Amino acid sequence: MLLFSYLLLSGIATGALYALVALGLVVVNKATGVINFAQGEFLMFCGFVAWMIHVQFGLAYPFAFIAAIAAGFVLGAITDRVAFRSLAKTDIVGLVLATVGLAFVIRGTARVIWGGKADYLSFPPITSPEPLMIGTIMVVPQQMIALAGAVLILLIFAAFFQFTRIGKVMRATADNPRAATLVGISIENVYTLAFGTGAAIAGAAGVLAAPLTLLYPDMGFAFFIKGFAAAVLGGLTSLSGAIVGGLLVGVVEAMAGGYIDSSMMELSPFIMIMIVLIICPTGLLSLYKERHV
Amino acid sequence: MSIFSRRNVLAAFLTLGILVPAFANAYHLFIANLIVIYVLLAIGLNILVGYAGQLAFANAAMFGIGAYGTALLQVHLSWPFYFAFPAGALVAMAVGLVISLPALRLSGLYLALSTLAFAQCTQWVFLHWDSVTFGAGGFKSPPISFEPLPLNKPVGLYYLSLLVAVAFTLFAQNLVASRIGRAFVAVRDSDIAAQSLGIDLLRYKALAFGISGFAAGLAGGLYSQVLNFVSPEGFDLFQMVIQKSMIVVGGLGSIAGSVIGAGAIIVILELLREVKGAQEIVFGGLLIFFVTFLRGGIIGTLQSYVPGWDEPLHGARVVSGANTASEIGALDEKQSTT
Amino acid sequence: MTQPVLSVQDVTVQFGGVRVLDGIDLDVRAGEIRGLIGPNGAGKTTLLNVISGIHAPQTGKIFLDGEPIGGSNPSEIARRGIGRTFQTSKLFRGMTVLENMMTGLHRKTTAGIFGSGLRLRRTINEEREIEAQVRRSLEFVGMSHFADRRGTELSFGQQRVIEIARTLISEPKVVLLDEPAVGLSLNRLAEFDLLLRRIRDDKGVTLILIEHVIRLVMDVSDKVTVLSSGKVIADGEPDQVRNDGQVIEAYLGKELRARYSTP
Repeated sequence: MLLFSYLLLSGIATGALYALVALGLVVVNKATGVINFAQGEFLMFCGFVAWMIHVQFGLAYPFAFIAAIAAGFVLGAITDRVAFRSLAKTDIVGLVLATVGLAFVIRGTARVIWGGKADYLSFPPITSPEPLMIGTIMVVPQQMIALAGAVLILLIFAAFFQFTRIGKVMRATADNPRAATLVGISIENVYTLAFGTGAAIAGAAGVLAAPLTLLYPDMGFAFFIKGFAAAVLGGLTSLSGAIVGGLLVGVVEAMAGGYIDSSMMELSPFIMIMIVLIICPTGLLSLYKERHV
Repeated sequence: MSIFSRRNVLAAFLTLGILVPAFANAYHLFIANLIVIYVLLAIGLNILVGYAGQLAFANAAMFGIGAYGTALLQVHLSWPFYFAFPAGALVAMAVGLVISLPALRLSGLYLALSTLAFAQCTQWVFLHWDSVTFGAGGFKSPPISFEPLPLNKPVGLYYLSLLVAVAFTLFAQNLVASRIGRAFVAVRDSDIAAQSLGIDLLRYKALAFGISGFAAGLAGGLYSQVLNFVSPEGFDLFQMVIQKSMIVVGGLGSIAGSVIGAGAIIVILELLREVKGAQEIVFGGLLIFFVTFLRGGIIGTLQSYVPGWDEPLHGARVVSGANTASEIGALDEKQSTT
Repeated sequence: MTQPVLSVQDVTVQFGGVRVLDGIDLDVRAGEIRGLIGPNGAGKTTLLNVISGIHAPQTGKIFLDGEPIGGSNPSEIARRGIGRTFQTSKLFRGMTVLENMMTGLHRKTTAGIFGSGLRLRRTINEEREIEAQVRRSLEFVGMSHFADRRGTELSFGQQRVIEIARTLISEPKVVLLDEPAVGLSLNRLAEFDLLLRRIRDDKGVTLILIEHVIRLVMDVSDKVTVLSSGKVIADGEPDQVRNDGQVIEAYLGKELRARYSTP
């Protein structure tokens, strides 16, 4: 029971981070139809920015948190303005290759700024790394903070999309771009906003992940592919699906690692992806929905 | 026929290629051999991505399977190189086909994702199946010799690579100008119309995957000998990006482009060898630049300014973003409901 | 009476909760030109999609020359002899007009990967033959001078003609045309009418065409089938159908039915 609860909570915590990555992917996809293969690198870069603020400049963690999210937003917005304007009408091969190229540009830049291949930066833990015992359940405070942070971000963004005018504008554009233009919405600005928001969410995930793992320039891809898997599980255009997908990926990964072998942690998400894509490429949630029509 | 036509330039490269061992030192020979190996890889990948339009990310993995397959058959089963080499390529092709067959029903993003996942699984196997693959540290590939030919190993290997690459290039050029090539382009440009003409999507996608897998496997077998060493490092995502850059820079949907792209990228890689971060920035930047501004790659530019570079079924002149009546119609199609 | 070349029997197609096609029966005789009309959303394109294999019918059967084809995959059905064109241009953009047409002969050629890659004599001969055939076909439709141009360089109407030619070159038994006259100006319509008839007369091909240009359909068709809300509401000679009360109601509504139909 101890092992199970530990694995479950651990999986939920990392799953929440994957959910954030997935959420960012879905936000951008819904608005622009693009899957941003550089999403993992946004996460990584903002994690490094947070390190810079917190460790190098010595400011408190909340500052680093906000700085990272802001950096993410800016990065996303720049990406949209610079790269995607000209790509707007390209086919999917071009879009994917361009975002992959971007991922490597960001990766290389981070490597040049903050360290070579062998340098792993460590981010000081926010709380003591000692696990707590609550009844028979073992809890790692560091993970709980990451989880709490992730939930906070999710709630903020949910509120943003549901209640603010800008959020509604974005939803309208995602739903029907032509009608949106007719009503006077500037689609281009919405695209920039979507990219910025998607990147900011990834940045938040990066800051939350930083105390849990070491920071290194290659870390982005692992988050990206698990986030992508989660988004696909949820159906690629469903925000709630992305969140559920993320949690699922995190929990399965933790369980596989705990019960089978630690090396399985790397492998399980990929096997999940391949199985899911073979059986139901439109996402698990669509299976659920079909039955209830 | 103009002096700088495609045929003449490629023939010139070939002549140069044959003469390289005469005046090159060991390092240059190594680079030349790498270029030849990557030409093989790039052409195979271009057939899959550029001609058949399949956005697959598994090529680096199949490259690795070819390398590991060839070397491990020699190490564990004591097969001689000239058996292990084609066998390794066949293994790569078979594994690629089997894993990609379910993926063939997917397209676009889903295909990209599933092939990415497959590539990561392969990496994992290379890293963790210690007993067979020797894990993260890798292993030395067994020495081979070219007796009774009077060639030392580097030169012999170079000529073998050149031979394989030239043979495959000719094969590929013939293939793309044929019924099969047309079927590939049809699948890429409009799979619905292709089906309405009797083209079986699954069969031709599988064929494209098989061909690129086989080429990658051959390249891998040669690579295992060029480096004298096999390790998981050379077959990761960055490797995949390098290969994609080659075909994008050279020209998607162009055999000649693959040759040029491979050469150009290897040279750039070597010039930037010291700083890995710089390599990544440059490759990423190249990809973005060419995809955004020079969709046709180097070949596309050559076609505009130098006569004699046309290729059958070449994709470069397809202008994306042009507002033809058919494109506007295509946008409308998503919303038609009859 | 000889059996129909194409027979659709009690076919139903459902998407989610919506019945797009509801118990459709359709028999088309060889060499017939059958018009298929009906208001938007009636299910016309879906019917073509079901015949050509893009959707499988939930119930019912489809027969081509007596052989069942319902539910087979589209390329299989195409190989059995059903060709079709689409509402939007689907010329292969990476190919010239000549190459597009040669692709049209795909199902009649056999060159395989080794024959093609190694350029065996048999393959070279086959390529020469089909190229000659394509050039003849381009002459038939008056487009020889476009042979080496890309599809995107042609006007919309010209692209249409090439697409139809591409579908016809392999001599299918039945050709499904989805709004082939879209975008054609009035004077072109008359030419198009003639072209369709020529195609049927010269090649003995059966045509089923969806059209909204009622005049064209009525002039060129031997029989007309009218669909509305997934059901066949009229089926007969053009004049009969033109005056059928139900048809008028489907297009114009109940009130105008009384005014325009002959009892």
